[in-house]
Order: sequence, then C-alpha cells, then structure tokens
Amino acid sequence: MVETNSVRAAETPPVAPYLCVESVHKSFGGVHALQGIDLEVRRGEVMALVGDNGAGKSTLMKIIAGVHPLDSGRILLDGTEVSISTPHEATNLGIQTVFQDLALCENLDVAANLFLGHEPVSNSWTRWIPYPLRPLRGLDMEEQAQQAVARLNVRTLNSVRGKVGQLSGGQRQAIAIARAIRTKSTVILLDEPTAALGVAQTAQVLDMVRRLREDGHALIYITHNLRDVFDISDRITVMRHGKRVGVWRTKDTTPDEIVAAITSGIDAGSNDDG
Amino acid sequence: MMASQTRSGSEQGLGAADGAESVRRPGATVAAKLRDLRVSGFGAFLPVIIALLVIWTWFGLTEPAFLSARNIYFLFMQSAVVGTLAVGVTIVLLIGDIDLSIAAVAGVGAAIMGVLVTNLGVPAPIGIVAALTAGIVLGFCQGLLVAYVGIPSFVVTLAGLLGFQGLMLRILGEHGALNMRDPMIRAITTVTLPAWLGWALAAIMLAGIAALMFRIDAERHRRGLERADRTTLLGTLAFFVALVVASVATLNTYRGVPLVVILLLTVTGLLWWITTSTPFGRHLFAVGGNTESARRVGISVRKVRVAAFAVVGLMAALGGVIGASRYASVSFNAFAGGPLLLEAIGAAVIGGTSLFGGRGSVWNAILGALVIGSLGNGLDLSGASAADKLMVSGAILLLAVAFDAVTRAGTNAGRR
Repeated sequence: MVETNSVRAAETPPVAPYLCVESVHKSFGGVHALQGIDLEVRRGEVMALVGDNGAGKSTLMKIIAGVHPLDSGRILLDGTEVSISTPHEATNLGIQTVFQDLALCENLDVAANLFLGHEPVSNSWTRWIPYPLRPLRGLDMEEQAQQAVARLNVRTLNSVRGKVGQLSGGQRQAIAIARAIRTKSTVILLDEPTAALGVAQTAQVLDMVRRLREDGHALIYITHNLRDVFDISDRITVMRHGKRVGVWRTKDTTPDEIVAAITSGIDAGSNDDG
Repeated sequence: MMASQTRSGSEQGLGAADGAESVRRPGATVAAKLRDLRVSGFGAFLPVIIALLVIWTWFGLTEPAFLSARNIYFLFMQSAVVGTLAVGVTIVLLIGDIDLSIAAVAGVGAAIMGVLVTNLGVPAPIGIVAALTAGIVLGFCQGLLVAYVGIPSFVVTLAGLLGFQGLMLRILGEHGALNMRDPMIRAITTVTLPAWLGWALAAIMLAGIAALMFRIDAERHRRGLERADRTTLLGTLAFFVALVVASVATLNTYRGVPLVVILLLTVTGLLWWITTSTPFGRHLFAVGGNTESARRVGISVRKVRVAAFAVVGLMAALGGVIGASRYASVSFNAFAGGPLLLEAIGAAVIGGTSLFGGRGSVWNAILGALVIGSLGNGLDLSGASAADKLMVSGAILLLAVAFDAVTRAGTNAGRR
C-alpha cells in the first residue's frame, strides 16, 4: 500500500495531517459502534466520510465534536494529543460542527443566530451587572454578521435582520456554516449539509466548502451523496461496521469502487496511504 | 474551474449587497413596505392596536360615556392588575411554557403583605418587599420543578394554582379577607400626578425615545448598516407622541396621570429592555423558538427556565400588591378565586404573544390588558349581562389564538 507520490507531489503537497483520530473505540451498551476507527484530515483538504447507515459516521463525528466521550483511542490535533469531552472544549480547540439539523432558532434573526450562546455584551460601564443582564452589542453583531454573510457569498440574502424561519434551506445551511466559522476555527465537521437541499442550493453550499478549503480549513464532510463526494472531496474515507475500510484519493478512484467498498467492505482499490 | 466558480460567487455576493440597499430605495413597492413593517418589531403591534381602535370606536359611538376622561381613568386603573400579571406571564410564554398559578401567587403575596401590615403593624415597605420576595420564591420553586424535575409547566403550575389558593386562605385565616387601609399602600393606586408633572414626565419620555431612535439611526449610518427609512422612523415617533400626548391630556382633565400607570410603564419598560437587549432575553426567545438548538449552542436551558418562572412570580406578587392597594382589601375572590388568571393569560395572548413560544413582547401584554379592560368596561356601560361579557371575551380570545396559529404556520412553513 505504500505508494510514492512522485507524480502527484505537485498537486497534493505532502502536508502532515492536522486532525488525527487513532484506533478509537466506542460502545453504547452492547453495541460496539466504533471498533478502532482511524481518520485523518489535512488543512486545506476536504475529507469525505462515507458509509452505509449505521456505519458509525455520525458517532465518530459526535466524538470529535465533544458530544460523546470516547472509550479508548486518541485524537491528535496538529501532532498533540487532545482531550475533547464537551462541545465547549471542541470549540476552544477550533473544532466546529455543522449538525444535520443545523441547530438554528427560526424565530430569531440571522445576526442573533450567528452569535447565539456567545453574545457579545458591553463591558464598559456594566461590570457590576451579571453577564446575562448586560446590554447586548447588537450593532456589532449585525456588522460582523454582514461581513460573515458577505464572506460566504450567501446569495439573495437581503438582510441579516430577517428571521431565519423565512430563509430557504440553502440560506439556513449557509448561516449554520457561517456560525461554525465565526470563531477562529481550523477543523469543520459537516454532517449531511446538502441532504435537504435542491440542486442550486447544493451548488451554493459546495461553493462555500471550497472557499473554506482555500482558507486552509481542515474539513470533514459526511454524506450519502456520491455525486457531492466526487464534486468536492480530495480524499474519501469509507467506513463499514465501525471500522475504516480504506482511504482513496478522489481523483484516482471511481464511484463504482467506492460503492463496492461501502457495501461489501472491499478495500482492494484503496490508494492512499495518508 | 474552481477559480471561475469563485469569481461568479463573488459577483453574486455583490448582487446580495445591492439587495440590502434596496431597503432604502424610494421606489420600493407598498407590498414590500408592508412586509418590512410586519417583520419589524412594530408590525407585531398592529393587530392588537387595530382591535383596540375598533373596540374604542364602537363603544365611543354607542356609549358616549365610554370615552369620557373619567371612564378612561378607571379603564387604566382597572387594567393595571391584569396588565401586571399579563406582562409577567409573557415571560414564560416566550419560552413556550405557561404559568397558571399567577393569580394565586398574587393572592399569596397580597395576603402576606396584608397580614404583616394590617394585623401585625409592620411598616408598609417591609410588607411590600416580603410580598415580592414570596412571589420570587414561589416562582423559583415552580421553575425548579419544571426545569430540573422535568414536569410540564402546565401541571406544575396547575398544582401551584390549587396549592397557593389554599396557602392564601391559610394565611388570611378564617375570615378569608382583610382590610388594607395603610396609607402608603393605598397611595400606589390613589395618588395621581399634578398636571405639570404628568406633562414633564411625558416630555422626558418622548425626548428619550426620540434621542435613542436618532442615535441608533446615526450609528447605523456610520457603520453602513441598513436603516429604517425616514417615513417609518418619523411615523413611529409621531405615533408615540400622539399616544402619549392624548393619554396625558385626557387623564389631566380628570384627576391626572395615576402613579400606578407610571409604575407599570416603568416596570414594563425595564422588562422590555431585558427581553430584547440582554443575553438572558435573547436566550428566552431561543429556548422558546427551538429548545434543542438552544441547548446545542451552549445555552443553559434549565437556568433560563428557572429565571423566567422567578420573574413571573415577582410580577404576580407585584400585581397582588397593586390589587390590594386598589381594592383596599385582600380577599380570596379578588385574586385566586376570580377571573384574574384567565384575564391575564388572555391579555398576553390577545396582545400577540404566542402560546407556542418564541414570539411576543411585554408591551403587547399591556395592550392586550387594555383590550380586555375596554371590553369589560364597555359592556358594563352598555348594560350587558355577565353571560354576554363572558361570551364576547371568549370569542375575542379565540380570535387572538386563531390569529396566532395562522401567522405561526405562515412564518415557519419551512420548519421540519
């Protein structure tokens, strides 16, 4: 499996992986959901994570996001072992997650959603007031929300003061992504970001993902949609029954090969040694 | 290929910026303006203001006494207790819960104050503080049961309704009623401001509103953020000026602006600021809009809920104090046993606060209380029977909830 990358060295510079998951196990009661899974992603790369229902993709994602603790194994960030036991710790390490259901509040406007749970408040003359009752810096939030929206090129979004409930699916997805990259983040996990979207909206989200890759983010992209995978990813990790089947460089594989790996766990074609 | 997509993306980005500019374009259609208005905070007031205008016009035409200064004065006084409770219950409606115990908590607060002040001769301020503290404690405990034990708020506060009614009777003793003659407590609802002071306060309030509006607009301009257009800005201001000037002028031709109205407006203004301009308020709306999302972004949903119930307890007890002052007595029927609970919740809902959580405003509760008060007052004047009053109130409440359900379906069509 060790392959010299002499031909492709120019296209994929041999960067060390930024996030490494090594032989992670996780059980829920009697269900051994993850059985020594490995996963890695470099900065400036989109790693697609595919597998059939129940392969353990979402479990793995929740472990990296700090929603579930892992049973054994380790997670390395930039070469250093890290402990992620709460979503807050993941955020502090620069790991952001866009959940499949987006976790937005439809009754609040775009700016409010972007800062939800981390609202900036005025601190000048209000130090004696407890945080929850300090005045919000509403205009700052609006200004930064506008910049975030402009950065992502959210099409046809007229106002950051519009309620999220009135936005389209693609726009909501964009807002959820904007929230993930609002804080200083390096790793972004996307769970089925295009599952509920139409063709145009899917293209819009994929555009966004490309932009994040150009910015040097390390992206893990979970999806069932092989067209998206081949459209956007640099490498593909296939999971089956809580284990890694193999890693493929997207350019050098075919959908048929990936489908075979997903359904039967054949890793004969696996062409990437990491 | 990637580069070309990037470029097309940024061109579309510019297009989006143009879209934001169009908000200020003078040629915007009437429909767009209406839509802007509906989405803006001000638009949420429209239905209840229209309802109020219709009721006032109807009774103004059929009952000449209705719009007399004296009647308007009593209308405001009658609506004060319901308004206080309605403002309070709005806070729990925002998080999608309900509090059925508000009238009973008001009764307990009034009873504690009554026993302390009338029977034991404790100074009035201490009695008032004791009542308010009791309200906070009762609300806090119910909040704990809802948030940490996980009992639905409907059940917890239904138990509270029964239990606190019993508590009120126990505190009041065998007679079930107390007189409240303490001059300081009576003053809350008997003192009216001299005409000049009423005008001075009105001027200060309007100047404050204008200054705030124009300062925010200037700051928006400086930062290049979208602004409301001049017409909306000046229209809103003109509306406030007309409302305040008309109210003060009318009240001054009778006895002057009641102190309790100033008190209620101040407390409501404070709660409005807390619900719209602080992290706590933002989290109330978030919990009411989507509890699971709120939890995922790191909001402590439980603490928000407990705090909300504590605020309702405080407002209920304040309503109890105002009620005791107004009736010059504390009796079971005036609070826990009467129609106060349903009038207060009805007022909040008629005002436009959603029973489904996440949408509403404390000011709407005040307007809703005025609608309920005006209906009762007007029907009394026209000699309607108790039966007619109940049926009309029921119809209005049903109309308000139906409106709530319909608009909710409209705004959240994309909800999964």
